[in-house]
Amino acid sequence: MRRTVLALVCSLTLSACAVPHARDDVRLDKAAASRAEVDEVLDEYREVRESAVELLDPKPLSTVEQGAVLAIDTGSFEVLQRSATAQKGDDTGRGEVTDVEVPRFAKYPLWFYAVVRDAKLGINRVQVFERTSSVDPWVLTASPETLDKTELPPIRRSQGAALRVPADDGVGMAMSPQKAAQAYAAVLADPKAPGADAIADDSFIQQMRSTAETNAALKDVRFSQAWEAQDVQYALRTSDGGALAFVTLLRTDTYAVDDGLTVTWPEGTPQRAFLSAGISGSGTLTYLHQVLLYLPGGDGPPRALGQYGGVVSGEGDQGAVR
Amino acid sequence: MRTVTGWALSVLGVLVAVAGVALMVLLGPDSRISTGPHAIETDDIAVVTSPQVIRWADVQVDVLVEVPVRKPVFVGIGNAVDVQNYVAKVQRLEVTSFSRPWRLRTRAVEGQPNLPGAPTAIDWWIDSSAGLGGASISARLPDETVSIAVLSVGSSNLAGLEVTLAYGVKGGFAKGISALLLGLAALWLGVMVLRSRWADDDWDDGEDDEIDGAGTLEVEEVVYVYVDDDGVEHEITAEEAAELEVVEEVADDAGAAGPSASDEPSVPTVPQVVVPGVPTAAEIAAESARTADPRGDAPPTAEPERVVYVFVDEDGTEHEVGEDELDEFEVVDDDLDDADDPDAKERP
Repeated sequence: MRRTVLALVCSLTLSACAVPHARDDVRLDKAAASRAEVDEVLDEYREVRESAVELLDPKPLSTVEQGAVLAIDTGSFEVLQRSATAQKGDDTGRGEVTDVEVPRFAKYPLWFYAVVRDAKLGINRVQVFERTSSVDPWVLTASPETLDKTELPPIRRSQGAALRVPADDGVGMAMSPQKAAQAYAAVLADPKAPGADAIADDSFIQQMRSTAETNAALKDVRFSQAWEAQDVQYALRTSDGGALAFVTLLRTDTYAVDDGLTVTWPEGTPQRAFLSAGISGSGTLTYLHQVLLYLPGGDGPPRALGQYGGVVSGEGDQGAVR
Repeated sequence: MRTVTGWALSVLGVLVAVAGVALMVLLGPDSRISTGPHAIETDDIAVVTSPQVIRWADVQVDVLVEVPVRKPVFVGIGNAVDVQNYVAKVQRLEVTSFSRPWRLRTRAVEGQPNLPGAPTAIDWWIDSSAGLGGASISARLPDETVSIAVLSVGSSNLAGLEVTLAYGVKGGFAKGISALLLGLAALWLGVMVLRSRWADDDWDDGEDDEIDGAGTLEVEEVVYVYVDDDGVEHEITAEEAAELEVVEEVADDAGAAGPSASDEPSVPTVPQVVVPGVPTAAEIAAESARTADPRGDAPPTAEPERVVYVFVDEDGTEHEVGEDELDEFEVVDDDLDDADDPDAKERP
């Protein structure tokens, strides 16, 4: 008797699954992409990237990349073209997708986050794909790289969707993502900047300072370096109440060389590709760095987990290369 | 408990069956309600529903749009976030409310006279269709906020637009039949549960029929038997038995001591029918018992103590003598083996 009643109840329940019903909640809301769409986007990016590498031509990349990441990749392709070096073994587009986080949005632009592991190079590419409007394609807009051993903080989810953090929201953290980006840029520009103690002295900061000190040590050359943080567009809430923010930093290296002298760089370097004749008088190299900044929950100082960057333009007295 | 379950199943069954019938009557064999075609006065390039207009989910919606002179037209349904972004800068007629069967409220929105991109090239439509002079979609409303957009393709506009709308439940008529059958099944089940409960009540009141723990109904049966000259039993009908003489009836006495009728399987009652001059089976059985060995299975009976009289000859050998020979002897000693034995005798 009990089995019969149970079967009857189950039948009624199942038959009620697709019963038309009124929706109380009619707010605008959408997951950025389904998993199938994410796979499709990643596959298309991989194909275009491979075509660009094969042709040594950055133009196809403009259909799948945008913003700082396109500028950095275009710069690296120009370096390869000018140095006539084939980009053998470049498999930036390949890799195993180890994590995908899709937030929900009430309006465009939409974006999602994917972690692609490159076992060959021992790195993880933490990529952000964005769709600016309903008629635009999905494009890669950020791709900082972390070492394979670097553990990424888990992302907090709600109802299956990753939670975003507004750039100016510093609740539960030492500061908001936007303020962290600005403080980070300030510390890179000047180690003694106000609030420098609020930023962790991570390996990226140390590497940039070392490079700047090397350039500043050139005899009869006055070297200066400036850093500027762009607006933070992507930040996800981590499970500890912190945030994982994608920060784009603009770096400007300026050289003032005494009369009669020329600063040159070794063959095959990006600087050489952009300033082939070197710098006589004065010159500027512009870099873009995409930094994956982790703001721990609580009072912990922000620190960089990874970065992706390169030369995007160069100008000198002997004529602008780009 | 069974009474409650039975009534609950019955009421539920009736409700489900009524709902099934109502669904069948409401939707009809094509499982939908249709309205239109209805003219929409506009010369814009887009007619779009606002996000709050479509408030239902899991409803099957069919939309047919028609424009005159084979103008190219597009109709699509998509998430309201996508659709609103797509038409945000477009001059359009926006449907702000809809009530059945066909009552619209609209507002004109100023904007650009062209679409930001070809609607047919967009990948986020849940369902879409394009055609010359007409197009149609058929989609089940998802559990998300959606908008329907009617768009002109190319350089034309939507002047002369007519819309036919149908909504219902996919397979609704079949689901109505299923609900009806399911309801009837539940009702039948409920009635069966109630009937079994009532039958139990009758048994408790002392009726002959019995339902045991396994649910088996036991019925008492009467068998008439005729025993022939050889003592062989033959089953006969009640009519045949009426012509004969019933001499003995062996009935299972429910009131007798021992296992109750509910504990033991019932034994058919066998009235013994006797043909005059012919011994019955009982008589044959009694005779057999008399001739049988009394030491068999008969219980031991108390016998009087047997007295043994013994004559002892000159050699001292004992000879047993009968009681009728005692007067030939003289009891000389009654204490040979047992001094207290008064029956010990000695030959003179």
